[in-house]
Amino acid sequence: MRKILSLVVVLTLFSLSHTIYGHHAFTAEFDANAPINITGKVVKVEWINPHAWVHVEVQDESKATIWMVEGGTPNTLIRNGLNKNSIKPGTVINVRGYQSKGKLCLPRCIANGRDITFPDGSKVFMGSSGTGAPRDGADPKER
Amino acid sequence: MKNLIVLSFTLTFFPFNVAAENEHSDMHDLMAHLLTPASEAIWESSGYVITEEGEFSLEPKNEEEWERVLYGAKVITESAYLLSIPSRSENRKEWIVFAGLLEEVGEKAFEAAEQKDVEALFKIGAELYQVCVACHQVYMNE
Repeated sequence: MRKILSLVVVLTLFSLSHTIYGHHAFTAEFDANAPINITGKVVKVEWINPHAWVHVEVQDESKATIWMVEGGTPNTLIRNGLNKNSIKPGTVINVRGYQSKGKLCLPRCIANGRDITFPDGSKVFMGSSGTGAPRDGADPKER
Repeated sequence: MKNLIVLSFTLTFFPFNVAAENEHSDMHDLMAHLLTPASEAIWESSGYVITEEGEFSLEPKNEEEWERVLYGAKVITESAYLLSIPSRSENRKEWIVFAGLLEEVGEKAFEAAEQKDVEALFKIGAELYQVCVACHQVYMNE
């Protein structure tokens, strides 16, 4: 019974993670006081509207954690120089952003991405400005 | 198709004397239960998931899935009317503009879904989001 209950909780949280994070203002879902700076391997890219998502596997000493990082719309990313083939699974990237207000990381951690740094050192803004995200200098076009 | 027939019938015979006091939903409910699922039907109809195993298109795989897209598009189009009733739109000039844009996007999505044009749906999905965000930026905190 306990296992079934755990499964139900996990599945509910998983479905909520997709429902809640589908489309929203930054301030509704993300914590501007919880910046993240993660480095890991890209395991999945969801090139979808209204937000692209990059799933990054971050390995620490004891375990691997998957971070789902939200980007802007695919169109926004294309304008910034990213397309669906730019972020290949297996590539190790660094992502700066802000964690979701919910920090349980069940079933995975969720964050709003600001920029991605690729292995060659190139950096691309991956967020959406004007949605309430902090003016942190990540968006070179932000005034 | 059944959903579309029911929707068309409902909208055709919708009472013309809809008045402020006849609103059945507040704006949050209307967004959460009508426009959000309809928009998701458009957004989820195109795009790609890319993993080490390959690239997978999200395009509808059968008529039932296409029907969901058509239904979502029609709901978005007709929602423009629901947003424009006097009690919701009075003294809100930009609101009417956004409702009009929503109607246009819904019509384009319906046409693209009829033609099973997933590339067009992908672009329209982005336009739809822009309309949503633009409207939210003006009115969400009211």
